[in-house]
Amino acid sequence: MRRRSDWVSAFIFLLPLLFTLAIAFLYAFVRTVYFSFTDYNLFKVSQFVGFKNYLTLFKDSYFVLGLVHSLVYAAIVTATQTFLALLLAVVVNQRIRGLTFFRAAYYVPSIASSVAITTIFIWLVNRRGTVNWLLGLLVRYWPLMVTALIITALTQTIQVLWERRHGLPVKAWDPVLLLISLLVGSVTATILGRIGLIRPNPKVEVLIPWLTTRQTFLGIPLPLISIMILNIWTTTPTMMILFLAGLQDIPRELYEVADIDGATPWQKLRYVTVPALRPVMFLVITLGLIGTIQMFDQAAITAGIAPLESVITLAYYVYWAVFGAGTLPKVGMASAAALVLATLTLVVVLLQRKFGFSEKGWYS
Amino acid sequence: MRKFLLVFGLFAVATLGIAQETVTIRLAGYSGDTPLMQDVLSRFVNGVIPGVQVVWEPITEDYLAFVLRTLSAGTAPDIIYIDLYWAKTVVETGLIQPLDEFMAASPVISRDDLIPVLADAFTFEGKLYAISKDFNSLVIFYNKDMFDAMGVPYPSADDTWATFLDKIARVSNPPEWYGASINPDAARFLPFAFAAGMPFLKEDGMAPFDLPAAKIAADWYTAFNRAGIAATSADIGVGWPGAAFIAEKAAVCIEGGWLIPPIRNENPTLNFGATFLPKVWQGGPRGNYLFTVGYGMPVKPPSGRPDLVFKVIEVLTSPEVQEYILESGHAIPSRKALLDSPFFQQSDPFALATKTVFEATGLPGTVPFTFGDVGGSNYMGVVNEALTLIMQGEASVDEAMDEAAAKLNEKLGG
Repeated sequence: MRRRSDWVSAFIFLLPLLFTLAIAFLYAFVRTVYFSFTDYNLFKVSQFVGFKNYLTLFKDSYFVLGLVHSLVYAAIVTATQTFLALLLAVVVNQRIRGLTFFRAAYYVPSIASSVAITTIFIWLVNRRGTVNWLLGLLVRYWPLMVTALIITALTQTIQVLWERRHGLPVKAWDPVLLLISLLVGSVTATILGRIGLIRPNPKVEVLIPWLTTRQTFLGIPLPLISIMILNIWTTTPTMMILFLAGLQDIPRELYEVADIDGATPWQKLRYVTVPALRPVMFLVITLGLIGTIQMFDQAAITAGIAPLESVITLAYYVYWAVFGAGTLPKVGMASAAALVLATLTLVVVLLQRKFGFSEKGWYS
Repeated sequence: MRKFLLVFGLFAVATLGIAQETVTIRLAGYSGDTPLMQDVLSRFVNGVIPGVQVVWEPITEDYLAFVLRTLSAGTAPDIIYIDLYWAKTVVETGLIQPLDEFMAASPVISRDDLIPVLADAFTFEGKLYAISKDFNSLVIFYNKDMFDAMGVPYPSADDTWATFLDKIARVSNPPEWYGASINPDAARFLPFAFAAGMPFLKEDGMAPFDLPAAKIAADWYTAFNRAGIAATSADIGVGWPGAAFIAEKAAVCIEGGWLIPPIRNENPTLNFGATFLPKVWQGGPRGNYLFTVGYGMPVKPPSGRPDLVFKVIEVLTSPEVQEYILESGHAIPSRKALLDSPFFQQSDPFALATKTVFEATGLPGTVPFTFGDVGGSNYMGVVNEALTLIMQGEASVDEAMDEAAAKLNEKLGG
């Protein structure tokens, strides 16, 4: 009897959530499935057309492009951001001075509005934007930079050898010595530049059109690569926080044991940290895949200036089919595309779970 | 006590009566219109038309998406903006009310009061679906100081494509300023292409961009940027060519009357003039676009009072309100009678520019900014891409325009 009343009260507590789920998810999903088999424009009575929408989709060059872009985008962005987030988390997990500042600074891109960030990003990668200006400086001054680097390396080598010869066990990258070497390197390079022994290249204006172009790199459109960089920059910090939480849970003893066994930092990362982070890794990769396959906002904003064929993704295709063409909405096509997107997301996540990282911890 | 209750009761009934009579009417428009519309509503509508309270709803999202979404959900406001650009699409939903019957019964406005081309623009299958609130067309805005500094004659109504290109080349003085700010923008390019003889679609219904007229126009339109005498607004570091003109980074831009209020607000001492778009050749044709937005009403306005909704539209398009909007420099009114307004006789650059925009609309070769069943984004999207590629030197005029035609044909076929 008591069990039954428990069940009832649990149900009552769950009711508000179940209600919203039923309306906002289940009902919408069923409608979408229905519409995907019809010819419908929001205003006329929908007509059943069977699988016609699905067949038309795969003949539409924009849909196929969107599909390819979404998959490539998901693979590259998820892999890169997971790797970077792990590295960042390990770094900010150290006990170093100013740790709180770095944690906050790294997290800022994640909490800023994605529309605002994308707009700022568009300014940065303008043909006459900051990125091209910096590249221009690089092109102009690389002879001096390389000189500075070579002199720094030489000075560092000499210093380290000198100290070791005098019995001090300094490391090759000893920070104090490195600081001195950098100083020597940059000052010498500046002097060499001033007296004209090493000349900078003539001034050139770098005008790479990062967004308004059809150019590709390794078959990926340049504008899409720009969006990838943007998204990696904004999402990595969120993933870093998840890894950080995971890192705090790893027992210190494991590292102590590893130290006793004489493990290098890399071995500790490879054989202790990463295996212990498997459940978090699964979460980070899954969230990353879902977020990237369904990427919409950056594509929508940059589509205003970039060629559609260079930035279209599946999620943007769905929107474009409904509102983008300036004609009556193609709801049937959009619904079919939305379902393909949903199925694709599910399949990719399941494949990852089966062949990549699963949620099972290494010690379970 | 009894007396008090009686008085109180009467008062309550009276207030309730008044409250019931006040009808709330929702008017949704572009968010950029907010200051003007709030001003107009408080001066001419709210508290002036008895029993009506108009609420202004500024829309920041894509307006067509907003209209289609709310119409299909049955939540559209009482008065919506209908842009000629997509009017046909919205009328095709069957959910927009024809206004002919209201107009026939109205003492304030009739079809004959409107400038004919504006009434015709919103007429579909013989029925009028929106009353044009204002209109615009494209003109050449030029910075007189920059032309004087370089000793170049101002652009004029007699310019041809060739003389205009030459003037821009001579006035260009980078990095101080460019001769012009020109974007790869179909809404600026297409009037030139139409003037050169490109039809909207070929006779067989296919895309016209691979025709010689289209290619000649594309070659000329992109020549400025390719020669480095013009720059896009993005390259100048501003949001649109008009902003480059206001910031005095470009001697010329091709814009409509909407540039006038921002000049007045942001650079009121700018020494500028405005003239018609250049002709293709001496004595040859000249193109232009007619832009207009009207007030429309859904078949079932949420207030349930189409008569009152029309009354508000009547007031908003009345001579008084249109004169007020004209004098505040915001837009050119759609009523014939106002074309003789003393405002147009003034000699300050703002009034002169407004007059030029108005006169440009009446010139032969001006076509409505509308894309019928093709879809404006479909049509202009492929053109924008082609112009971008040509300007950046990623494709030749031939390649880019042939490709644009092929892409539109794919969409037309699908």
